[in-house]
Amino acid sequence: MRHLPIILLCLLSPALLAHEGMHMDMPQEPELGASAAFDSHGRLYVVDAVDGHVRLRQSGDDGRTLGAPVDVNAIAERIYDEGENRPKIAFGPHDEIYVSWSQPRAAPWTGFVRFARSPDHGRHFSPPITVQHDRAEITHRFDALAVDGHGRIVIAWIDKRDMIAAGKAGKPYLGAAVYYSWSDDGGASFVPERKLVDQSCECCRIVLARMPDGEVAAFFRSIYGDNIRDHAFAVLHTDGRPGHAERATYSDWHIAGCPHHGPGLAIGSDGVRHAVWYEAGNGPKIHYGQLDPGHPPRHPLVIATTGASHADVAVHDRTVWVVWNQVGARGYHLMLRRSDDNGAHFDAAREIASSAVAVGSPQLLQKQGHPFVAWNTADGFRLIGMAP
Amino acid sequence: MKRVLVALALLLPGLVRAGTLQPLAASDVATLLKPPAHGERIIALWALDCAYCESNLEGLAALQRTHPRDIELVVVSTDSIDRRQAIGTRLRQMKMDGYPDRAYAEASPERLNFLLDPNWGGETPRVLVIRADGSRLGISGELTPKQLSKIR
Repeated sequence: MRHLPIILLCLLSPALLAHEGMHMDMPQEPELGASAAFDSHGRLYVVDAVDGHVRLRQSGDDGRTLGAPVDVNAIAERIYDEGENRPKIAFGPHDEIYVSWSQPRAAPWTGFVRFARSPDHGRHFSPPITVQHDRAEITHRFDALAVDGHGRIVIAWIDKRDMIAAGKAGKPYLGAAVYYSWSDDGGASFVPERKLVDQSCECCRIVLARMPDGEVAAFFRSIYGDNIRDHAFAVLHTDGRPGHAERATYSDWHIAGCPHHGPGLAIGSDGVRHAVWYEAGNGPKIHYGQLDPGHPPRHPLVIATTGASHADVAVHDRTVWVVWNQVGARGYHLMLRRSDDNGAHFDAAREIASSAVAVGSPQLLQKQGHPFVAWNTADGFRLIGMAP
Repeated sequence: MKRVLVALALLLPGLVRAGTLQPLAASDVATLLKPPAHGERIIALWALDCAYCESNLEGLAALQRTHPRDIELVVVSTDSIDRRQAIGTRLRQMKMDGYPDRAYAEASPERLNFLLDPNWGGETPRVLVIRADGSRLGISGELTPKQLSKIR
C-alpha cells in the first residue's frame, strides 16, 4: 500500500494535464486566410497574417520564391484570418498597395474594418485606419476591397447595427446588413458608410468585381423570406446614387445557419457577369451562371457536387475558368473547369494540384491574361499556372 | 483503503471527461459514427463563428434531458482544438461543458467534415443523428421544433 501515492500520481496526471491544457493555448501556425494579386508589372504580392501582423511578401518569379515579409501594421492587433476571412490586397492606378482586414474586438462576432496603404511597393505602410465611422463594438467585418476605374478604393462589409437596433425595438431581423464606403483620396480617409441592403447573410464573404464602365459591383449571399440564402448583385455607386441589391440566384436553399461560403464573380469586358456560388439544399453543390439580376442566371451549370467547396471564377476574352477545392477521404484536390465560349459550355473537371494538408480558398489571378491560381496550404503558399 | 480505491475508480472518468475538451481526429471518426447499442447518438457540430449554434445546442440539450437514457449527445466544435481556451469559455457560457465535448484536431478540417458526413459542406450548425439500427440523419441549420421532434 505504500506504492499507492505513486500509483495515484500516475493515474491522475493525465487528468490534471488535460485540465491544465484548458488554460494553455499552444502557439499556432499561421491561419490559411491569404490573398494574392499581381501589380501592373507582373510582380506578385501575397498578404496573410502572422502573430497579429498582416505580412506582405513579394515574388518576381510567379510565386516560386517569396521575399522577406514586411509588416503592414507595425503594432500587433488581432486579425480575422481563417475560414471566410482573409486580409485583402488591391492596387491603385500607380501600383499603390492597398490592404484591408477585419479586426476582432472583445465580444464574439464583433469587428472593425481596417485599412493601410503603401505608396512605395510595400517598403513602408501608413498606420492602419478604421474604415467604418460607426465605432460600436459590434460586427463590422468580412471586408471586401476593390479599386474602381477612377482609382477610388471601395470597401464593403457585413454590419450588424441594424440587427441590433431591430432587436432593441422588438422587431424581427434576419442576418445582418451590407454597408460600404470609399476613399476619394487614395486611402487617407473613407467617406461615412452607407447601407446597401438589410437582412443579408452574416457569415459569408462578399465578392467585389470591377465592371467595364469602371464601377465596382458586389455579389453576396443575402436572405430572402424565411432564411432562403440566395445571392444578390448590386453596383456600389460612389456618386451619391443609392445602391440597389437585386436577387440574382434562385437556388432556394433554406438554412437558419452559417453557410461559411461566399460566392465568386468575374465580369468580362463584354459586361457578362460570370458567377459561382455554393448551396447545399440537397447535398453540396457549386453552381455556375451568368447573372441577370431579378431573373435566374443564364447558362446555369452544376460545376461540382459532393466534397466541393470555395469556388472562384475568372474571365479573359471568351475564356472562363472555375476552380474549387474538392475534398475527399485522402485530402484536397484543386480542381479546374474551363470554357472557351464565354461560359456556354465547360470542359470536364480536372485536378491541377493536390494537398494532404489543410488549404485555404483558391483565388484566380491573371497576369496579362495568363491565369494562375493562388492556393495557400499549411505547407506554404502555392501559385499554380494554367494554360492561357 | 478499499473505499479510497473505489472512490478513485468512480472519480477518475469524471475527472477526465467533465469540462475537458477532447480532440477529434480522423482516426476517431469510425468510433464516433458507430451505431449506439440503443437509442440515438446526436453529434452536434458547432463553430465559434456561428451565431445560430448556441440556440441549436440548447434545443438539443433539452431533447437529451427529456430522454437521458436513449440519447447520447456529443458536442463537436469544428474549430481547431488549438483554440481550446476560446472553445472552453464558450462551452461554459452556453452551459454545454457537461456533455462530451470535442474539437477538431486534424491538419485538414474539411477532410474531417467529409469523413463525418460527405453530404455536408461545413455549414453550421450541423446535426448528425446515428440510430441504433445504423440509419443516419443529417440536418444543417438551427433545428425547428418540428425537426427536433423527428429526431426521437
